Amino acid sequence: MNMLPGPAQAAAIGLSLALPLVLLCYARIAATGGSGRRFRLGCVSILALYAIACIALPGQRHLDDVIGGLFLLATAMMFFYILFSLLAWGFTLTLLTALDKAGRPLTLEQWAVAYMQGGDLGTFTHNRLKLLVGAGMLTVADGKLAPTTKGMAVARLVKFVRLSTGIG
Amino acid sequence: MSFVVGFLAAVTFALLSPVLQLMARARGWTVAPVTLLAIAAIVTHGLGVMLGVFVVAQFQYWDAASIFGFCVMGYVFAFGAVYKSVSLEILLGLVGRTERRAPLSDIVERQVPALFQGRIGNLVDSGLVEPVGSHFAATAAGRTMAGRVGQLRHAFGIGDTSLYDFSSD
Repeated sequence: MNMLPGPAQAAAIGLSLALPLVLLCYARIAATGGSGRRFRLGCVSILALYAIACIALPGQRHLDDVIGGLFLLATAMMFFYILFSLLAWGFTLTLLTALDKAGRPLTLEQWAVAYMQGGDLGTFTHNRLKLLVGAGMLTVADGKLAPTTKGMAVARLVKFVRLSTGIG
Repeated sequence: MSFVVGFLAAVTFALLSPVLQLMARARGWTVAPVTLLAIAAIVTHGLGVMLGVFVVAQFQYWDAASIFGFCVMGYVFAFGAVYKSVSLEILLGLVGRTERRAPLSDIVERQVPALFQGRIGNLVDSGLVEPVGSHFAATAAGRTMAGRVGQLRHAFGIGDTSLYDFSSD
C-alpha cells in the first residue's frame, strides 16, 4: 500500500487545510460581500490555486493524481460548507445564541422576539418563504401558498433522500 | 483500481448508514444521527482500506480516500440538507395537505411556531437549555457552546440572525 499522496493530491490536501484560513482573511475584507458570496469566493480562490499548482509543480502530471486532488478539494469544500452554513443559517444554534445573549431566562414569546432581534416569527417565516418562492418551488396567490411542479418534484426528492438515508 | 475500492467503500457506507439510523430509532439509542454517520464512515473506510490492501497489488491510499471522502461528504451534505431544514419542512407541510395549499397566516401562526417549539425541545433534550418555570435559560454547557459559536461567527464575519441575506448573498 502506498500511503503517500501524489503531488497534485498533496497540493489539494494543503489547499483544503487553507480554505478556512482564506475565509478568515476574506472576512476582514468588506468588499467580499455576504456570507454565501464570501464562501463561494473562497472556493473559487482555492480552485484557482489548485489549477496553478497543477501547472507549476515539477514533474509530469498523472490524471488519477489530478482527479484525486479534485475529489479531495470538493470533499473539503462540502465539509466546510456544512459547518459554515450551520454558523450562518443554523436555526437551532441561533436560538441558543439569542437566549444566551439575552442574559436572563425568557418565555417562549420573549425568546422568539430575542431570536428575531425585535422582529417576530413572521419575519423569519417570510425570509424562508422568500427562498422557496425565489427558487420557484412555491407560489403565493390570494394570500395562499401552493407548491409548483418544481416544488412537488423537490418534495418527492426530499422524501426519497429521507427514506434512503434512514431519517424516515 | 484504488478508485474503485474507494467507491465500493462509499457504497457500503450508503448501505450501512441508513441501517444504523433505523436501528437507533427502533432501539431507542441516544446516539446523535451525526455520530452514527461518523461511525459508519470510519467502519467502511477501514473495510475499504483492508479490501484494497488484500485485492489491489499497488493500492494507492489517497486515490481511494479521495473518492470515498467525496461520496461520503456528498451523502452527509444531502442528509444535512433534508434533516432539519425549516424551508423544506414548510414545503413538505404544504405538499402533505390534501388540498396542497394553505393560507400564509397558517404557516406564520401555526407551522413555524411548532417548528420553533420543536427546536427548543431539541435544545432542552441535549442539555443546552433548561426550563425554569414558564421560562427557558441556557445551561452552563449551552452558554459555553453559544460563546464558541459567537467567537466563530465573529472570526468568519458571519451575522447572528440566521436569516438569508438576499441583497448581498
